[in-house]
Amino acid sequence: MSFLPGLTDATVIPEVYIDENEIHKQVIPMGSIWKIRVAQESKMTIKIITGIAEIFGTELANNIEYNFQNWNFTIFAVEEVQLEWKGTDVHPIVEGEDIIPNETAQYIYNLHFALEKLRSQSFYGPKIMVIGNKNVGKTALCRTLCSYTIKFKTSQPMLINLNPQESIFSPPGCVSATPISDILDVQLPIWGQSMTSGATALHTKQPLLKLFGLEMISENKDLYLYSIDSLAKDVDERLQKDALIQRSGCIINAPPLSQLDDRFDSLLHIIKQFDINLVVMISDEANEDEKLQYEKISQLITPEVGNNFIRFPKLSGIIESDETYDRSLQRSATREYFYGNSNTALSPFSVTVDYEDLMIWEPVNLINVGEPASIDSTNLLQLKPVTITPGSIQHALIGITYADKHAKSEDVRNAPLLGFALITEVNEKRRKIRILVPVPGNFPNNATILTSYRYLE
Amino acid sequence: MDPETERVVKDFASVLDELTFNSKPIITTLTKTAEENISCAQYFVDSLETRINKCVPTQKLYAFYALDSICKNAGSPYTIYFSKNLFALYKKTYLLVDNTTRSKLISLFKTWMAPNESTGSPLFESTSLGKIESFLIKASALHQKNYQSMLPKPTIPLLLSDIDKLTILTKKRLSKTPDDPKLSMKLQVLAQLKQELQKGKLSSAALKQVQLQLKEVFSQDQQLIQQQNEYEQRMEFQRQQQMQMQQQQQQQRLDVPGTNINNDNMKSNSSTPIPLFDNMTSLGPNVSSLFGTTIGPIFSQSTTTSDKSERESKIQKLYESLDNVDLLYKPKNESIVTLYDKIKPKDADKLNKESNIRLPSIDMLQNIILDCKAYFANININSLNVDSLTFTQQNITSPNSMVENNLIHLLYRAKSNKCNACGKRFGNSNDEKRLLSEHLDWHFRINKRIKGSSQLITTGNSQGTTATQKNIQSRNWFLQDSEWINFKDDDIISTKNIIGDDDNRNRDKRWRKNGDNTDRYNKALSGSTPEGGDDYSNVLTDEMLRNTKLPVPETNVDMTFKCPICKDTVNAVYDEDTGEWVWGNTVNINGKYFHALCYYESIKNSNDPEQSSALENLRKLVQKM
Ligand SMILES: [Zn+2]
Ligand SMILES: [Zn+2]
Repeated sequence: MSFLPGLTDATVIPEVYIDENEIHKQVIPMGSIWKIRVAQESKMTIKIITGIAEIFGTELANNIEYNFQNWNFTIFAVEEVQLEWKGTDVHPIVEGEDIIPNETAQYIYNLHFALEKLRSQSFYGPKIMVIGNKNVGKTALCRTLCSYTIKFKTSQPMLINLNPQESIFSPPGCVSATPISDILDVQLPIWGQSMTSGATALHTKQPLLKLFGLEMISENKDLYLYSIDSLAKDVDERLQKDALIQRSGCIINAPPLSQLDDRFDSLLHIIKQFDINLVVMISDEANEDEKLQYEKISQLITPEVGNNFIRFPKLSGIIESDETYDRSLQRSATREYFYGNSNTALSPFSVTVDYEDLMIWEPVNLINVGEPASIDSTNLLQLKPVTITPGSIQHALIGITYADKHAKSEDVRNAPLLGFALITEVNEKRRKIRILVPVPGNFPNNATILTSYRYLE
Repeated sequence: MDPETERVVKDFASVLDELTFNSKPIITTLTKTAEENISCAQYFVDSLETRINKCVPTQKLYAFYALDSICKNAGSPYTIYFSKNLFALYKKTYLLVDNTTRSKLISLFKTWMAPNESTGSPLFESTSLGKIESFLIKASALHQKNYQSMLPKPTIPLLLSDIDKLTILTKKRLSKTPDDPKLSMKLQVLAQLKQELQKGKLSSAALKQVQLQLKEVFSQDQQLIQQQNEYEQRMEFQRQQQMQMQQQQQQQRLDVPGTNINNDNMKSNSSTPIPLFDNMTSLGPNVSSLFGTTIGPIFSQSTTTSDKSERESKIQKLYESLDNVDLLYKPKNESIVTLYDKIKPKDADKLNKESNIRLPSIDMLQNIILDCKAYFANININSLNVDSLTFTQQNITSPNSMVENNLIHLLYRAKSNKCNACGKRFGNSNDEKRLLSEHLDWHFRINKRIKGSSQLITTGNSQGTTATQKNIQSRNWFLQDSEWINFKDDDIISTKNIIGDDDNRNRDKRWRKNGDNTDRYNKALSGSTPEGGDDYSNVLTDEMLRNTKLPVPETNVDMTFKCPICKDTVNAVYDEDTGEWVWGNTVNINGKYFHALCYYESIKNSNDPEQSSALENLRKLVQKM
């Protein structure tokens, strides 16, 4: 009862008062999705009370609190879902249009069971690539297909991510392959954790990464394709040694078409390297531009895979993202790599080394090179040594290779990736560098590669 | 062997190696290969026999199915070749597998005894079959003895497995009469009883009571199943007569493509009397347990009309006698609440009929109904091999009613056991249930460990002791390419890996010394031997512990012991290598038996010097084995 004038004046209630412990209830009708946007600085907790809810194909346990941070995602009600949520943001949901029917769910199920049919017929599972423009649901489709595959029977599909700007099980800047051997973490935009030294609530995954290091494929397409070739070779060897993965097949997440040049010849290259036999293109049939694009790509790809090239509608519930959001996801993924998350806290290690102790290489970036015509293709794959200055490496994410510090440029390029480190401070006067490493111990005596990604704590 | 034969035989063997689950496509492929390459018959037989001998017990049955399919479809000379070692092969397998598989082997054997439609004689040479028959009779007698010695001691795991069996029987009935509300309710009650048992608070008197009640319920069920069986046999008999008539009229219509091999077996089965089992009602899959006298559908009997009336009168008598002792319940038109009252087990703690009765929540009931629906939606769909699932534009982007109404359930409720912690689903087969319980165990251990380590981090940060450091977690280095290529994700996802995290930690130690790590890489590059001395020879792995075997001492009568740590009862298994009955994962510490893993868990984290010498002893013990 706060009608007394003195009382109401004293406590100025903000216009929108957010009680982060207040429990809100929400019902999602069967077959619908709830679009959720959890901003960078806010948090949201969701608990499913009844019904069957899934996030990109992974089912949520009921009566368990799930925590979300800095992520746009959707919850799909396979059966009517009643849930409770709380959060620090007044609008975690996209207002007005936040609950919509999931019209593409049935096609995803069709696609999944078509893949299962192929898996049941051969010891060599389907290798399917998903292509399309940005913001159409490529990663969501791949993630859902992976989840359904491991749910249906004992399968272990290989997820191959060829979009270096996307962080799946790793910081950005890589192409990667990861056997999906167990349930994904519904709370994480990066799908789940890679291996740690201790106990984790869910089984971790073991990705193979090839460091590209740059942001845009066009910055050095030759190097990008070189990373892909190297990844494809290792994936092929793994498949030959692992009958279960071989039988389950590969699900390949292609980079957005806008990242490739207009000839789309990289797509053909990828198809050949990974021996891809099915291609799904997410494309809007009604949109004239996309129709033309579809026809162009169809002409290009059909000779390779025949009728196994199909068009798929844009996924229901896409939340348009911008560059700021993409960058925030990349930052989250980097933080996640070193520090873990609220469920699994990791302890990285800070070391100080002399300038002389650090050998950094960097890939050729065509955007920075004055006259690209003067560079032949061998030079494009050649790494260049980096002169250490605060300007060049401060806050940079660097890849530590397995190659020795004194190894030759091409040995460094061909070396496997040991892990990542973060340059936190460069002291020019004392010629010392502070580096954050994920694993306790001395800084490895190895050559490193500079990436275009920066992370400021 | 000429190169062509060699290739065919090699292919056959490699397909056979894939037979790690009950896969119809694989068995069909093998059968086709066998049919098309009769000249390689002896090689195929050798390779199948080797497979049955060498593969793990859980997969032996599938190899037998392949053998069965080849013999039934390709016939001679396979039947002749296989007859030679059939008895030895069958006996050895029977001794190694669990009771469920045994019952499947028995069913299989019965189909071999049935006269073949074309030849009129049994599938294999009668001497081999005869040996198997007398072996099975002996085996059953042995089980019978075991059964009697086990009955007086109701243990929780035993009762739990009995509940599972009863659940399966009830589900079987439910699949035949899906509308019977009593059956679904009964399933519910069984589930509750199981929960109650799992809490483990019941006194031994209460356990005995539960045992007796279960026996009651079971005997009622048996009656019903038997009646139903007879009814079905009668129907089947009529159907076959009809079919014969049809056959005479128009033979071409019977040409059903892709007829299921197993169905064929069932048919010949039910129409042919099998002498062995006429008086062998106690020979069943469950004999070693509480329900010794299963007369399941496996033991179908001849159904001439005179037999039938005789049986009916027997049943009538049994019915009356059961009625007399008030063991029968005859539902009238009562409400579901009254029904529930009637079939709910008596409160086992107080043995008090008047105890409070709580109906399950609506959500729970609804869940049961939806689970059942999902189960029935797929009951007749066991093949993905339909045209509408072919990868085409038309199929993917138009509605598909089979996916929408049937197949979709395979991702959800058809696997009705959902993990409370992570949402992962498990099916209803015994295998899946075992996986679920291992999975839950794993959650439990992991959570304990996570809690433990976070406490240590918050309390012990200033000291920097080794104990604290041990529990601080960090990211691992990535594997180098060649290691990743050879990596098996089973190493991560194994839930049996009780000390998996220690493995991780050991591995992590290796990674932490990344000097070694990259040295190895660079040495490998320069061509020198990468692998130095292994400093892990001294470490006890869970693998080593799990593989410990202890021969059952002569003095032990019932072949079991109870692990003092986890209170589980450990049963003996037959060890192929030594030809003895052994307890797996077991150590003998000063005359007491423990699970090797349990014992290790209990002593490993202690700093007590006495304990550490215990660890040393265990290490010696395990390494000796
Ligand atoms: Zn779980
Ligand atoms: Zn134990």
